[in-house]
Amino acid sequence: MASIKLRGDTSGEITIQAPAVAGTTTLNLPATSSTLATTAQTEAIYNSLGVRNLIINGDMRIAQRGTSSSGITGSGIYLIDRFNISGNGYGTFTMSQDTDVPSGQGFSNSLKLDCTTANASLSASNHMVIVQRIEGQNLQHLKFGTSSAEKLTVSFWVKSNKTGTYTNEFYATDGPRHINKEFTINSADTWEKKIIIVDGDTSGVINNDNGSGLEWLIWLAAGTDFTSGTLHTSWDTANNTDRASSSNVNLADSTSNYINITGVQLEVGDTATPFEHRPWDMELVRCQRYFQRLPENVEYLTSFYFDNTSRYCTTVYFPVIMRTSSQTIAYGTAEYRNGSTYTNGTYLNNQRRNNLITIRITCPSAPDSSGYALGLRLIGTWTLDAEL
Amino acid sequence: MNIQLAKLVKSDNNLTQADLVNVTLTDGTTLSIPLEESNRHYQEYLEWLSEGNTPEEAE
Repeated sequence: MASIKLRGDTSGEITIQAPAVAGTTTLNLPATSSTLATTAQTEAIYNSLGVRNLIINGDMRIAQRGTSSSGITGSGIYLIDRFNISGNGYGTFTMSQDTDVPSGQGFSNSLKLDCTTANASLSASNHMVIVQRIEGQNLQHLKFGTSSAEKLTVSFWVKSNKTGTYTNEFYATDGPRHINKEFTINSADTWEKKIIIVDGDTSGVINNDNGSGLEWLIWLAAGTDFTSGTLHTSWDTANNTDRASSSNVNLADSTSNYINITGVQLEVGDTATPFEHRPWDMELVRCQRYFQRLPENVEYLTSFYFDNTSRYCTTVYFPVIMRTSSQTIAYGTAEYRNGSTYTNGTYLNNQRRNNLITIRITCPSAPDSSGYALGLRLIGTWTLDAEL
Repeated sequence: MNIQLAKLVKSDNNLTQADLVNVTLTDGTTLSIPLEESNRHYQEYLEWLSEGNTPEEAE
């Protein structure tokens, strides 16, 4: 390996070393007086540039719904915030927030999918994907639909016993248009970092709204309805038959199969920078735009009114404005304070905005006159879901 | 989302039509879903209706 050494005036030396490869490589130095940055300095600059990761909760730390869910078989399933499992006929899986992570990367958690009932013979429509949907109004700087459309780079860590070909897809919902690229898990049971770079889409526009603008997907299983065409390795109108590689593995073909994923980062440009480790509270707030739990077993100040039956009403303000007022409410039970005791009421209805919910319950009786302020307690799980 | 039963609900007595549907899933989970196209659970409720199921009417 050839090298040049420059000696300092008094002591020390710098070695400029050519790589041990064939061919000629040109390194252009700036034409003005300047200082070259070291790798460490460059990484420090990248790390100071927030918020560049378009993926929310890419390090899988936030799991408001719980840390494990078994019996997963269908679509629209969330456990770790913002990451959705969808498909059908992919057997049965357990999803968990795992502590198995690539060493030395600063991660604490990964998303794990573990096959518990196999389907080794996928029918045409059977498939399984992991997906995160990104709001269109957070993607306008990609300049899609113009000649200046930006390249995208996604990087992530993955580990599985199931080696082979997988498909990474970007699906622009408003076209819909998509671009798909294969990647390979080379070694079983080994953490590997994958980097996939795609061109920007100069044709398809991402609407500037709070709907889904772009989906990032990994295909974990795909029947022929999704593999029988030609994989679109450049942006094109989305066709189901062109979405997954015909060589895509079937992660559902054995109960020995599992996959762990973490460190998902999607950024503008053609360079995978080090993962942006954001503060936990910042990531939680970003997740709460899409899903929140109402504080349970705590008393809310409540009003009472009577129209045919006794009704209690309480308003809960959200710590984070949600993506839409069209949330789905998962409700448990509610108790109202009647004197010094609590009595079960029956959930009636709600009125929602993107920053509050008013909950009404009906009750068997009016409050007594013991002088206690009216209060309502929410029991069990009360959640708000504004996921894309 | 495996819907066991559903009941249409008005969020306000002054409304002439239901704007919510309360559903009970087979695992016992209870959801209140706005009747709005953009809601992903409403889309699944529509699928349930298309399979020939009917909700209880609002009171």
